[in-house]
Amino acid sequence: MNRLLRPGRPLGFLVGLVLLAALGGALSSPPAARSQAADVLLNVLATGAKKLNIVVPHFTVVGGPDAQGLGKNLSLVTARDLTFSSLFSVVSDVPPIPVGDPAALKAAFANFAAAGAHAGLQGVLTLRGDRAEIEMRLHDLTSPEFRLIGAKKIELPTAQTRRLAHKVADEVVLQFTGEAGVADTKVAYVNSGSGSKELSLMDYDGASAARVTSNNSINISPVWSPDTRSLAFTSYMRGYPYLYRMFPFENRPVQVLAGFLGINTSPAFSPDGRSVALTLSRDGNPEVYVLNLASGAFRRLTTYSGIDTEPSWSPTGREIAFVSERAGGAQIFVMDAEGANVRRLTQAGFNTQPRWSPKGDTIVFTSRQGNFDLWGIGPDGSNLRRITAGPGNNEGASWAPNGRHLVFQSNRLAGGYQLFTMLADGSEQQPLTRAPGESTSASWSPRLP
Amino acid sequence: MAHRRGSALLVAPVLVLSLFLAGCPKRPATTAASAPPPTGAPPSSAAPSTTSPGGAMTPSPVAPSTATPSTTPPAPSEFRETANLKDVFFDFDKYDIRAGDAAVLDTNAAWLKSNDNLVLIEGHCDERGTNEYNLALGERRAKATMNYLVGQGVQANRITIISYGKERPTCTEHSEGCWAKNRRAHFLVKAR
Repeated sequence: MNRLLRPGRPLGFLVGLVLLAALGGALSSPPAARSQAADVLLNVLATGAKKLNIVVPHFTVVGGPDAQGLGKNLSLVTARDLTFSSLFSVVSDVPPIPVGDPAALKAAFANFAAAGAHAGLQGVLTLRGDRAEIEMRLHDLTSPEFRLIGAKKIELPTAQTRRLAHKVADEVVLQFTGEAGVADTKVAYVNSGSGSKELSLMDYDGASAARVTSNNSINISPVWSPDTRSLAFTSYMRGYPYLYRMFPFENRPVQVLAGFLGINTSPAFSPDGRSVALTLSRDGNPEVYVLNLASGAFRRLTTYSGIDTEPSWSPTGREIAFVSERAGGAQIFVMDAEGANVRRLTQAGFNTQPRWSPKGDTIVFTSRQGNFDLWGIGPDGSNLRRITAGPGNNEGASWAPNGRHLVFQSNRLAGGYQLFTMLADGSEQQPLTRAPGESTSASWSPRLP
Repeated sequence: MAHRRGSALLVAPVLVLSLFLAGCPKRPATTAASAPPPTGAPPSSAAPSTTSPGGAMTPSPVAPSTATPSTTPPAPSEFRETANLKDVFFDFDKYDIRAGDAAVLDTNAAWLKSNDNLVLIEGHCDERGTNEYNLALGERRAKATMNYLVGQGVQANRITIISYGKERPTCTEHSEGCWAKNRRAHFLVKAR
């Protein structure tokens, strides 16, 4: 991080904080660490604005030819990321800002400032053989001199330039809110386009989709490890439903995590990455276990003669939400990570797929009341609320690492299930995948390294 | 459970052992700094890339088995359809044997007692609900069916169960008539 200056404006903070909370709780840094950009955002919100207006011109390319039009294309990726964050109203696809020419910069930004822009993002892209570097520079267009309020250099191999654009957007969100954005992430999911259910990965915005299994079997339930290096999933590649782990970015063999008689399903990595909660029926019926990855030991957590399954860790790793039919139909329960202190969370309906928010305050789940829809509830059973209300069925939510967005599957359109994204309150629903094939079982990755 | 298969207790340690030999637990907590950056588009060849002649993906090497081969169930693909064993069906989110289906299972049990085959019982669900819950539900349906047959005198060690959850429907329309056909236990056989 490269915060340039310390904040100098504590008085406006409380007002701004309240407004930011209304905006989605995006501000997470304490006042002592607040950046100049955060002050700009707080002041803008204090005027009653819902979003910060930012102009994102084409990035300026220096140090080499730009035959592929990267300066323009990457700026448009960043602009879309900032729009997706829901924190910004973005103006993009305008000419680049000259480098090293303050007068030209001021002239270029002046028109946007006059039109209501609060901030301007200048990206300086340097291409050096197989390395690409972007310096992002944030300017406060509400100040007389359009002062610089943040800057950062980011470098990646040229083959990953699209990630550079995502990282710029995440850095902009970080400078304004104190928590990085979620653009440099991936979504793992199941796609049936080949005629069998195979695992695929794509950027969080649907780009760069690529299949990562090809065993013509049934592959389901992919989940990311916290370090984003591996996926656990259930597959019938050996005939029976075993649990596996694969390393999609490395040339490493697939590992068998659990291959007991019966089902080996529903994996969930613990937040520290050292354990995997899962469902086994090796003792006679589906129960929740925890596999210690270092020792290979399985520890059984539940004891009920019917179904216990679908574990989901709290972000602290101290508790696990799961589905049990011990009270009749399928309901959501919470227990501590050793299996004790089981308590029931949901009361009515048919409730499955608990997914604990990375912020810890909400467990989203799928409820059948006629159709299937997504609901949220606090880990203490408070604040039960509906998140989706059709159209079609809406299921299988997975949280973005900032706890502000969800990806989920819906059959609202003709042709079956596809993936959609939305904010955690159910607003701003938008499609993420399209045919061929149905796309389901999304798992949103943590931020990439 | 009354009808737990003894073989499960033998197979389990073998597969746990295979976890170690697969080289899994080298770095429980990897720092982001040491992780190679993901590529923009992961090449499909970088993933489970080894493909056997049969088309099945080959996971990491399995430990030399210390159990006798008989403890491992035959692959599902070794079982064949038979007209002699009829499907039984289940209510939504249920796995108890319906009264009318008990007679079907009685007939199936009688055939199995006079024909010394191995039998694979598949548990299936309709398309509603999650993959993971339905895998558990299909397991319970296959298990309840197995338990009934064992109660009728079929040897438990002839029976293998597998849950397909909602993954292999016989009927693909989105209607109750279709869903009812998919909530089933299905039988396949293999000569000893």
